[in-house]
Order: sequence, then structure tokens, then C-alpha cells
Amino acid sequence: MKPLKIGITGVRGIVGETFTPELAVEFAQAFATYLDRGRILVCRDTRPSGPMVRSAVMAGLLSAGCEAIDLGICPTPTMQLAVQQSDAQGGISITAGHNPSHWNALKFVRGDGLYLNATQAEELLDLYHQGEFEKAKWSEIRTRIETRDAIELHIDRLRQAFDIESIRRRGLTVALDCCNGASARLVPRLLEGLGCTVLSINDDIQAPFPHNPEPKRETMAQLRAVVKAGRADIGFAHDADGERIGIVTETGEPLSEEMTLAIAAEIKLSRSPGVVVTNVSTTSAIDAIAARHASSVVRTQVGTAYVSEAILEHRAVLGGEGNGAVAIPEIHATNDSAAAIMLILDHMAATGQKISALAASLPRYSMHKYDVPIAPNLLFSVLNDLRKEAETAHAKTVDLSDGIKFAWPDGWLHIRASNTESMIRVIAEAENEPRALEILSWARDRLG
Amino acid sequence: MRAIPTLKISISGVRGVIGESLTPTLLTRFAQAFGTYVGSGTIVIGRDTRTSGEMVRQAVIAGLLSSGCRVIDLGVCPVPTLQLMVRRHRAKGGIEITASHNPAEWNALKFVNAEGLFLSTGQARELLDIYHQGDYTKVPGAEMRSVDLFDGGLDAHIQAIIDAVGILPPRPRPLKVALDSCNGAGSIIAPLLIQELGAEVVTINTTPDGLFPRGAEPIAENLAALSQLVRESGADVGFAQDMDADRLAIIDETGAPIGEDNTLVLATRYVLSMTPGPVVTNLSTSSTLDAVAKMFACPIHHSKIGEANVTEMMQQVRAIIGGEGNGGVIYPTINFCRDSLVGMALVLHLLAETERSVSSLLADLPRYTMIKEKLACPSHKIGEVLKMIRTTYADLPMDARDGVKVIFPDGWLLVRGSNTEPIIRLVAEAPDESRARGILDGVFANVAQLLRES
Repeated sequence: MKPLKIGITGVRGIVGETFTPELAVEFAQAFATYLDRGRILVCRDTRPSGPMVRSAVMAGLLSAGCEAIDLGICPTPTMQLAVQQSDAQGGISITAGHNPSHWNALKFVRGDGLYLNATQAEELLDLYHQGEFEKAKWSEIRTRIETRDAIELHIDRLRQAFDIESIRRRGLTVALDCCNGASARLVPRLLEGLGCTVLSINDDIQAPFPHNPEPKRETMAQLRAVVKAGRADIGFAHDADGERIGIVTETGEPLSEEMTLAIAAEIKLSRSPGVVVTNVSTTSAIDAIAARHASSVVRTQVGTAYVSEAILEHRAVLGGEGNGAVAIPEIHATNDSAAAIMLILDHMAATGQKISALAASLPRYSMHKYDVPIAPNLLFSVLNDLRKEAETAHAKTVDLSDGIKFAWPDGWLHIRASNTESMIRVIAEAENEPRALEILSWARDRLG
Repeated sequence: MRAIPTLKISISGVRGVIGESLTPTLLTRFAQAFGTYVGSGTIVIGRDTRTSGEMVRQAVIAGLLSSGCRVIDLGVCPVPTLQLMVRRHRAKGGIEITASHNPAEWNALKFVNAEGLFLSTGQARELLDIYHQGDYTKVPGAEMRSVDLFDGGLDAHIQAIIDAVGILPPRPRPLKVALDSCNGAGSIIAPLLIQELGAEVVTINTTPDGLFPRGAEPIAENLAALSQLVRESGADVGFAQDMDADRLAIIDETGAPIGEDNTLVLATRYVLSMTPGPVVTNLSTSSTLDAVAKMFACPIHHSKIGEANVTEMMQQVRAIIGGEGNGGVIYPTINFCRDSLVGMALVLHLLAETERSVSSLLADLPRYTMIKEKLACPSHKIGEVLKMIRTTYADLPMDARDGVKVIFPDGWLLVRGSNTEPIIRLVAEAPDESRARGILDGVFANVAQLLRES
């Protein structure tokens, strides 16, 4: 199976196999053509293939006549904020997010700092496939500009949006695992500037990922040890590019990545009720929390771009996904783990509530996920076959907006094609473990 | 006639027009092919000052990193600096980003092997095969290596020249040099070198911004401003470089261009006066150089045209100096490549040691006039033209290694097809213009007639 995926979330593959410099050059040319030249900001995470991809992207952008600004290593939301706050036409983030180190990807950001939506991504793909790109003449071609200012801009913006004096007075101890990713350039500095005692591990941007850059319970063993040994008030685990976080409580309990958005929702909705946007695959705890605070939930297809669009459309007070991604619209309508950290610390400082107590106050469901690798030529036909059998699930509702989601009064099952890999993702959630496994068996019986 | 092609992929590298044919994809693929060809390892890169330089550099870096190379980036530097640094860093090869004398809209990649030489014909063919086959080495991210910026290349080059030829002998009044670097890759290093040698320097066109202030070739018609600077500043000599600083043209103390052929003549005169030995140049170089070799009783060898052919023969015969009539001086003590900076150092030493002027040093050598013509000629007709020349002059001595060179008692005629354009070149040299014209006219009309018949 060829690990290359060109889709609405950008282009993603394995470096040394499918993700070649030509591919990166031509996507950058297509993007520059799509934006009709102009200023484009580029950032990358800390993967060892980052400099290669960066050079390929720069060559493509410059050849098309863009003013290419190289932000170096910084979180994707830092670049997105810099695009939004400047007169840049767009941005490219060189990161495969939570994928292992040997992957890389390009993610495309438009002038308002949000990812291209599905229609815009389709337009970009059409330009890429047509292969006729903008070409600047020798006298129009520009040189690359390097700047490290975006991190400061992000820190300033976060400091303005939260009660930093209250955080400073509380003197919190925070453990961080930046997974040697891009957040290492932002979050330790941000928190030290707030007077926190920062216990930081894996904050070397030159070093390889110490574990998969996916903030799940399985990857948080090291962070748990730091939280316990350092008596930290909370621990945060990061992905490679600063979009997702996982939380370890002061007792050393690693929370499921689904809990990150639930905690953010509890904090946010208790302060200002409103709409929360999340995808169809995220825990039902969000609905229960919204109900507590006279708020509502809007569900979208899976993917940050869908969530961001719905945040704008519904003037939501919060958005995010069950993978640990949180978007706080006062900052920007896109995933930003530093913003999520600020929200949580702001709450802890203001209320004195322990993070374990906050977590314990939330409804918890039993969730099971598994992935089924599928040959690319079968990905959607397998899903279609399942749709034909939908009635055999005897569900209360069947939602076909993104794959198939069956809902029963006490649980749900979601089966969908991944946007980023050639696999089918299966997620079941119920009020208890046996029921979740029972729900899952419908999929297991059919997909293996 | 078809549109003039704006892309040339050949044994001398890949050359094209920015915004048309020389795309970043093509460049990154060529860099991957080169990385594959050298088997990964360290590659030194440098560039001239063209506006497209950064774009091309990024494309090249992407391709080299992808194929597992470590990149040492010298930034803006002359071609000979790169060639020297390839050897100093014990690199597997080098890529210089320059279209040398081509106009501003062009750029190119020139490939250097581990010995600091441009790829030989055979090596270049191997690289082209790998490029066309398209199956490049691709390393996984974890095996990717770094790009190291190295800004010591210019200093190292200057030091190598000083170590080889020494500083100028003391004089009551230091030599004064007028310099025109064409805003190219020599803009920074050339004034530094001249001062380090112990001469004074006044400059024009030493802003390395890639905006061409004049035609990039250091030929007489492009050097009016430098001539004026020589006269106004009272300089002893004027030096003009091309974009990648491999060729050197000279203006004498009266402000007159001495002709490109005479750069090598003066450099050779100095070198042979210090260390006699074999001299190598190509078939098309002025016979004045033969006279210099004769003056010091040194052998002179004529190679096929092309820098690679000259350097190859220089190695074979262990030449002490060599070069080409286009202002390219090759001094193997430093580098087996054309080097305008070495040329400057040798000529300044000649002026200082002899305490004579440029014009007087040329006045005691035999003078020849060279006339060059060209005719549009499709490549399949070249053989026919050459056959006609061979038949016409069957009773005269001839050299047929590269086109046909006919040796007359008082001059010579060279007819050869171009490697880069669909033309045939005719060159004649004789002691005076009328005789040179006579030699050329002896065949010109017939060649034109033959080409009209096609």
C-alpha cells in the first residue's frame, strides 16, 4: 500500500517513499497559483525531513513570484495567527501532526488564518493536477525572508486574552511534554512568562520524537512520572505542531484525549453559554456538558476545516475534536493547544479547583476505537457496502454526513474513511464498557 | 524557424530561462540525480548573484537533502571558490548556481566532481542518464542530513592565492587597480584579494544584487565604463569579471581593452618567468601565447575546445599553466579551473616584478588579428562543411580533433560546429587584419553557398 494521501487536509506521505521534493515543490507552486502570488508564511515542525520539505516549498513559492516568509520551527496555530494578523495571503505548515516521524505533510492556510475548506481544497487540487503554475520572470522573483517574530505575536495575543495576573498569583507548577515538537519553542516560554514553575521534558527541537507525537494515554507515561515526582498541578502532552494536547491530572492520572475538549467545554460554557462545535466522532460527554450549561452542540464532519467553518457560521464559543484539539474563537477559530492550556490554567487560577476534581465532575463514557487498513481502491466501496447493511444495526438514527454513524439511546458507532491515511476508523461509545464492546461488534463482524 | 529553445540540458549542466523552462521541479530533480550519482555524501553549493539564485538554491537543497546528501552552502561565491572548497571539505562534489555570461533571465546548474573539476564528458553523460531514468535515491527523514552555512570560502580562496603566489613586492607607489565585477559573484572577494596582495583598488559594479549593469561577458564592447574609470583614476590596470568570476578581461593603463586572449598571455608570461613548464590551451587561442611559450622555451599543447578538455590535457602533460582565449586562466597550483582571481594575482605580479606597464608588456610580443564569423547551420550539415574544408586544404597541415583547424604558413583557420547553438563558427588568425580576412574569405563564400543548397 502506497502511503500517500492527497486530499482536503493537504498532502501527506512518507518521506523517502511517496513524499518527494517534486511533490512539495509542485504543491507549493499550485498554492501560489491559487492565491495569485502574494505573501505566504511557512512554518514547520521538528521532523528531520522538515528542512528538505521547507526548501522544496520555498523553491515552489519563490518560482511563482510569492513573497515567501520563513517562520522556521513554530506551531501551526502560531503561523495561522500570524497570517490572520498580517496582510499575508496564506500559509503552509510543514507537519504531519500526530503521524510518526517518518511522515510529513503540507497543510494549507488561507488569508484569514484558517485551513482551506473542502471546496477551496478541491480547487487547489485541480490546479495541482492541471500542472500549469504561475511562473515569475527573473525580475519579479523574490528572495526568502526569515523571521522569528510569530512566536512573540502568539504569546502577546494569549497574554491579552486571559487573566495572566491571576495565573501569576496562583504560582502553578506545570509539567510539559512537548514531544521535541514545535510547541517547545512556544509553550515553555509562555508559561515561564506567567510565573509558572515549568517542569519541561522533551523540549529539544533538534532531537527526535521520544514517542509518537499523539497525546494519548499510551504516550503519557513519562509525563505522568514528571507530574508525580514534581508534584505538578497539571501536565500537558503535545503533538508535533501544537494542535492537540493531552492532560495528566495532579494525581498522575492520564486522561483520554477525548477529555481535553470536555474539560475546555466545561470551563468555557460555565462562563459563557453558547454553541460548541465538534465532529460527529467526538464523545457524547460534550452534549451532556452543553446540556448542563444551557448550551448547544453543532456536529460537523471530521476535520479541522469543517469545525472552523462551523465555529464562524454559528458564532460558537468553543470548538474542537476528540483527538485533543481545542479551538478558542476569541483567539482564532482553529486548533491551538497553547490557547487551550491558557484556558485551563486561567480556570484553575481563578477557582482553585484541582484538575482531577474538574475531570471527576464530568460525565465519562466508555469509548473504543480501532483502525482497519484498507486498500485505497476499496476505501469507499467498503463503506458503501456497509451502508447497504445499515438497517441490520437497528439503530435509532443513522447519520451519513461522514461515513456512517449509528446512534442508540445508550451509545453510538461511527465508521468512516480517514482523511489522512488509507484506513477505516471505527469508534464506538457507550455508557459502559460491555455495551461499547457490543456496539463495536457490528463493525467487527463486518470489517474484521 | 522554430522558437529558440530556452532550456539546454547537456554535458555542461542544465541551463534555462527563469519563468519559462527552468522550473523548480526540474532543478530539484537534477539535484536528486546528482545526489544519487555521487552516492549521497557531502556536496558544496554556491551561487552567483542572480535574482533567481535563492529560488534555485532552495530547489537544489531540497533535492540534495532528499537524496541523503549533507549540504555545505557557501552562499554567493565565484565558481573557482566553490571548486577549491569541494576539495578542502573533501566533498563528493559541488553545484554552482550560475549561468555565467548568459543574460539576467537565465540560470543554470554546473556540476563539479570530488576533485573540484567540472564533470568530464563521461561523468556528465552518466549524470544525464540518471536524471533521465528518474529513479533517484530517496532517504527516509531520519537519515536526512543538514545544511551547514559556511562563510569562510572567500577567505580560504584568498589565502590559497596568497600562499601560492605571495604578496606583491614593495614599490614606492602601490599598483592601482580599477575593478568591474558586473555586480556578480566576484563583487566581494575581488576587492579584498587586490588589497590583500598589496595593491590599491577603485571599483564599479561591485554591488552583488544580480542586476546586470552591463552585458555579462567581459568583452570589449561591455567595458566602456571600466575604461573610463581606468583613465579617470589613473589606474595601472583595469580588471573585469563575468557573473561567476571565472573569466577575466583586462584594460591597459591607457584605458584600452587588450583583448580577451591576452589575459592568458600576460598570466603565462609571469608564471613561465618564475617556473618554466608546459602550457596548455585550446585550438582557438591566439598564437601570441605560442610566442610566450617560445620566449621561455616551454612546450605548448592545444586541446579540443572546452574547459574540461583543457584541464584534462593539463593533467596529462603536467602543465604549469593553461587556459582559454576567453579570459580563462587555469593555474593548477590552486585549482584546475578558470579563476579570474588567480588571473588578477598573476598579472599584478607581472606588473610589479617587471615594473612595466600592460601596454609595454604586450608591445614586445608578436601581435595577431583574429576574426570570428558564424553561420546558421543545422547540426546534420556540419559534417558536410568540415569535409569540404578538409578537401579544399588537403595539402596543408591540419588538426581535425575539434572541427577542422588548417595551419597556414602565416596563420590559421578553425571551422567548427557549436555545441550549444545550431551554428557553425569560422575563426581566422594572421599577423594583420587583411591577411586574416583573406584566410577567412578563402572559404566563407563556399561554406555559405553549401548551406544555402540545403
